[in-house]
Amino acid sequence: MSEHLPALLVVVPLILAPVAALSNRPRAAFAAAFAGCWWALYASLALLTRVRSEGVISYALGGWAPPYGIELRLDLVNAFVAVTVATIGAVVIPYAWTSVKKEITEDRIPLFYTAFLLMLSGLLGITVTGDVFNVFVFLEISSLSAYSMIALGQDRRALTATFQYLIMGSVGATFIVIGIGFMYVMTGTLNMADLAERLPAVMDNRTIPVAFTFLTVGITLKLALFPLHLWLPNAYTYAPSAVTAFMASTATKVSVYLLLRFFFTIFGFAFAFGQMRLNMVLMPLSLVAILAMSLVAIYEINVKRLLAFSSVAQIGYMVLGISFGSVLGVTAGLLHIFNHALMKGALFMAMGCVMYRVGSVQLSKMAGLGKKMPWTMAAFVGGGLSLIGVPLTVGFISKWYLVQAALEQGNWLVAGLVMIGSLMALVYIWKVVEVAYFQEADSDVEIREAPLSLLIPTWVLVIASFWFGIDASTTAQVATDAAELLLRGGS
Amino acid sequence: MDDRVILRVGAKILIPFIMIFGLYVHFHGDYGPGGGFQAGVIFAAAFVLYALIFGLGNAIQVLPPKAAYICAAMGVVIYLGVGFLGIILGGQFMDYSVLAYSYTGQHYGIIGVELGVVTTVFGVMVALFYAFAGRRRVDS
Amino acid sequence: MTPVEFVDIVLLILLAITGIAVIRTRNLFAAVMLAGIYSLVSAGLFVVMDAVDVAFTEAAVGAGISTVLLLGTLALVGDKEHKPQHTPILPLIVVLITGGVLIYGTSQMPPFGAADNPANQHVAPYYLEDSYDETHVPNVVTSVLASYRSYDTMGETAVVFTAVVGVLLLLARGPLPQRIHHDGEWITVRPGTTREELAAQFKAETEGGGGGPEGGGVDPGGGADPEDRGDTPSGEGGERG
Repeated sequence: MSEHLPALLVVVPLILAPVAALSNRPRAAFAAAFAGCWWALYASLALLTRVRSEGVISYALGGWAPPYGIELRLDLVNAFVAVTVATIGAVVIPYAWTSVKKEITEDRIPLFYTAFLLMLSGLLGITVTGDVFNVFVFLEISSLSAYSMIALGQDRRALTATFQYLIMGSVGATFIVIGIGFMYVMTGTLNMADLAERLPAVMDNRTIPVAFTFLTVGITLKLALFPLHLWLPNAYTYAPSAVTAFMASTATKVSVYLLLRFFFTIFGFAFAFGQMRLNMVLMPLSLVAILAMSLVAIYEINVKRLLAFSSVAQIGYMVLGISFGSVLGVTAGLLHIFNHALMKGALFMAMGCVMYRVGSVQLSKMAGLGKKMPWTMAAFVGGGLSLIGVPLTVGFISKWYLVQAALEQGNWLVAGLVMIGSLMALVYIWKVVEVAYFQEADSDVEIREAPLSLLIPTWVLVIASFWFGIDASTTAQVATDAAELLLRGGS
Repeated sequence: MDDRVILRVGAKILIPFIMIFGLYVHFHGDYGPGGGFQAGVIFAAAFVLYALIFGLGNAIQVLPPKAAYICAAMGVVIYLGVGFLGIILGGQFMDYSVLAYSYTGQHYGIIGVELGVVTTVFGVMVALFYAFAGRRRVDS
Repeated sequence: MTPVEFVDIVLLILLAITGIAVIRTRNLFAAVMLAGIYSLVSAGLFVVMDAVDVAFTEAAVGAGISTVLLLGTLALVGDKEHKPQHTPILPLIVVLITGGVLIYGTSQMPPFGAADNPANQHVAPYYLEDSYDETHVPNVVTSVLASYRSYDTMGETAVVFTAVVGVLLLLARGPLPQRIHHDGEWITVRPGTTREELAAQFKAETEGGGGGPEGGGVDPGGGADPEDRGDTPSGEGGERG
């Protein structure tokens, strides 16, 4: 049984999706989604443990040896990302039960959980596969299900947001498949390890740099790197609360992983950073993302939207780490995938609690919430501290590595700009804190604390974001080993 | 639509042939172009033609939307079921060689997954058609 | 020019003409029909390239079913396209750059169909030579899709299923209803509900819990900038799809 875990990690949630659809009852569909998410958490943790002790796991689907068949290939990098995705799934799903009952009409709930399972298995499928075309297939599953879930948001503008995301996302996916096709033309293979072996011989050809360009643009569209982030703010703002929490912590992270996988494992460090001078593009863009998007976040008056812009800035941190092209930098990027998933998940879930009771996340509606919903707002402050990068939080760990990576290359300017980004995060988090704690509420509206079924998952993430901030030895160790693996070009 | 005799008669003659052709495409996929995906679309086309000529109400009586929806989901279950069978019988996921001796196992496996594909594609296409055709126009 | 090249050129010119016509026409019915023709011509191109399986699918799906589905959509939303508010210069530039890069990338590609192409040297010969012995399926495309790469096909089946899940989430059982929040309670609003009906429904559902909404009390979008939206959450159902 345990040797089949790489496949079962993906296909158990996948088969539960049609089961949830067939059950056609909210409770049964929820049970299926719950089982799928927790199964994924168990399987991904078991796989990470195994990868840490035994090294790379390769699973030949259908018994066909790669590159003739499709291979699932787990190393420290994607096992780590799979654990991140599964953790968020497992925490969001109990939260979704209560939150979704309010925000989505009952007749859509079974299909909502079906879409949720499809998205989860799509993201996990992208993460664990060792085949580039397979990446595209699962990317389609996760994207299509994400589009449909965003459209269920209770604001009408969720529909336009989805449409925008649908168009941009499809362009991104098309670019990725063009890149894959060009690589196939020049190598005759789709297997990642095989591609890494065969690409160097044809690198001088025009086709491979073009493939690289298409893949880079396609993936950065999916991960919402400035200036290709335009779909993200609206999608995150208008999606149902549980969907925003899940998507913000997983979808873009998996795209960051794809970027790492394509740059380091498939094309190789020398090609991506030497020949194509990728860092010359990524570093300025990520710095602009950090500063400009944090600035926009400061002026936002819808807190979900504020957090969405903050997400674009935080993605900037991840890409910035990668653009250093050093072990420390990539470690920072990988750590921030996990750390940002924890804190942003917590923050968006806290906003889901506010939505549940107040029906809005406009800043103006949040006056006095610090007293009326103390636990919710405390969770928001906890996640906010992490976002700022206060010591003893996960945010600090990421920034610590990032600044170290910058200083290692003597790049004081970048280190300084990272600090400025943190200060800007302080400003926009403080803006919310000020309204919630220091402004008087409208006394005539009665608002109670959010139910425990929402608070417990939220607090699990808040506590985790402190836990892994105080004792970062495990995550930092895994991330460092994974970064070394990537830079060695191995897989 | 009662007065469109030519359409009605033409459709009645065509529909059985379209469905036979769908079967042919499905089972001939091993030998020539075709397979579950195309067969599913062709089957669905027969129903869509029926619905276009004889009205949505009649089509729904033949195949209720619920049934199309169940088909769409069942196909995925069938496909993955074949995959799980590989694990249960001691091979890898999607391993057909353990289903039966030598290439017979491959044949069983391919027939199984093609059945899954045809069921899903047929169900999805009909369900999509019902979803669009069943809506009445809302003028703003 | 060989006959095959001649057919290629004719088909590609047809493809370009239909593509431009789809972009230029303001009549959506014509656009849908042209899109169907576009698919059919591409199916022809695939046949010339010896990809009959792909051609078959393109003809059945692109020219067949999707045309019907698009027509179904037109029945809901009408067949007139609004004039775009601004000239789409930026998209045009992006498209031109993309096209230029694509042409640049293909300029050094190995010739199509040559036996010594990398694509014909590595995995493909294995399929051609060994797949019959291993699977006894004469059609290599089928053995690759359904056996060697059946995990991909499983994913594609799931994609098709995801599509129907998405469409049914949005379209099943009439227009997408909305959940709105008022005075601490969440209620369901179906598009087309007037403000008076909404008030009555609200009273009924909350059993007088909040006293019923005032004229401007109900915010159909959950609170965000109500001025952006119509007064009642009605009438937008047809724009979806």
